[in-house]
Amino acid sequence: MIPVLGLLAGLAVGLFLDPSVPVWLQPYLPIAVIAAMDAVFGAIRAILDGIFNDKVFVVSFLSNVVVAAFIVFLGDQLGVGAQLSTGVVVVLGVRIFSNVASIRRHLFKA
Amino acid sequence: MTLLTTMMERPLDPGYQEAAARRAAAGLPRATSTRTVLVIVLAILIGFLFAVAAQSLRPKPTAAAALKKELVTRIEALQKHGSDQEAKVAVLGKQVRDFEALSLQQSGGPDLTGTIKNLEVQAGAVPLRGPGLTLTLDDAASTETDANAGTRPSGGFQQGRVTSGDLQIIVNGLWGAGAEAISINGHRLSSTAAIRFAGQAIIVDFRPLTRPYVITALGDSQGMQQLFEPSFAGLYLSQLTDQYKIRSVMAGSDSLTVPGDSAARLEVAQPVGPPVGSPTPTPGTSRLQQGTGTSTSTTGATDGPTPTSTPTPGSSSNAPSRGSAPGTGSPASPSSQENPS
Repeated sequence: MIPVLGLLAGLAVGLFLDPSVPVWLQPYLPIAVIAAMDAVFGAIRAILDGIFNDKVFVVSFLSNVVVAAFIVFLGDQLGVGAQLSTGVVVVLGVRIFSNVASIRRHLFKA
Repeated sequence: MTLLTTMMERPLDPGYQEAAARRAAAGLPRATSTRTVLVIVLAILIGFLFAVAAQSLRPKPTAAAALKKELVTRIEALQKHGSDQEAKVAVLGKQVRDFEALSLQQSGGPDLTGTIKNLEVQAGAVPLRGPGLTLTLDDAASTETDANAGTRPSGGFQQGRVTSGDLQIIVNGLWGAGAEAISINGHRLSSTAAIRFAGQAIIVDFRPLTRPYVITALGDSQGMQQLFEPSFAGLYLSQLTDQYKIRSVMAGSDSLTVPGDSAARLEVAQPVGPPVGSPTPTPGTSRLQQGTGTSTSTTGATDGPTPTSTPTPGSSSNAPSRGSAPGTGSPASPSSQENPS
């Protein structure tokens, strides 16, 4: 419950402060959001499986964000940034959906 | 396929399983608490990331959109201002006519009220009422693609569109079939009103129209329909419907109203002879001064043909006798009388 409150607090701070993001960072934001969602749903599933580990959660989030951002950066340098972004979104999206399906089985037994 | 299978069947990070196994081997509970500082800090960070990403990536109203909105507001305000002024002109014009009638009565001269009324009817300055036809024209259904405001027309001429030429031919056909007063979308076709094309828009009397185009023609509705349909304009209209799917509906009615043209006045053209009411008018001078008949050449010289000059019955024959012999001007058309409102 406390992490959920932390999430809400972060949302509130972000909405309230409304910081301006530098333009060069903006292409990485959607990818970072998708990577974060993947980490969050993976963590929820791990909690329900009873195997949650805080270090794994933090490391998986950071590595997801860093790798996804690096792939997009490399794609931008090679001129295929849009395609690689799509690839990252597809892969992480599939993982999110699978994890959500597993969470659903845990919660609703269906 | 191995990649896809792995991804679908084991979406969870294998790290969790390994860490749990390590902790179990070390004699600790498999799962750690979810309330550690690391987790909470990361939760706050993720929430912050979501909020910042949503705020900075949401499409912001651009300067162009704000400008467009302001222009739309200004156009609407000016249109309202314009229609208010038009209504004012109509009210004041009625007052002026009343005062004119009064002063004519008081001056004890010959009763010119009837003549003035006749001339106003012929000049298209007053609203008229009577039986007639309404002809509604609309673009073909397939051309309604740019109903979305703000998109630019894809360019080029779309065949399913009603053009100013179509309206000119049809209006001319209606005049030829005996129409006595015509308005399009509430704009009276006076002697100085032109039907023009500006870009994709149809302009009548310098005011742009939007579809559908409703042509109201006063006259003997039965006779007009019988004369119009076999005429060139009627055939043209039926071909438009057949070939380009332009929609047209013609309906007769016993009581239609066409508005007056409140802006019917000449600003440059000067009468050659003495002013109105002079006891000895020179023959052939008072046509321009009446604002009927041939005055299209003064302000109607826009571009293209101006097929809408009012062929008012008798407008040339009454010119010499005007002013001296009240009531001998062209008789008001039998089927349309002045609107008392």
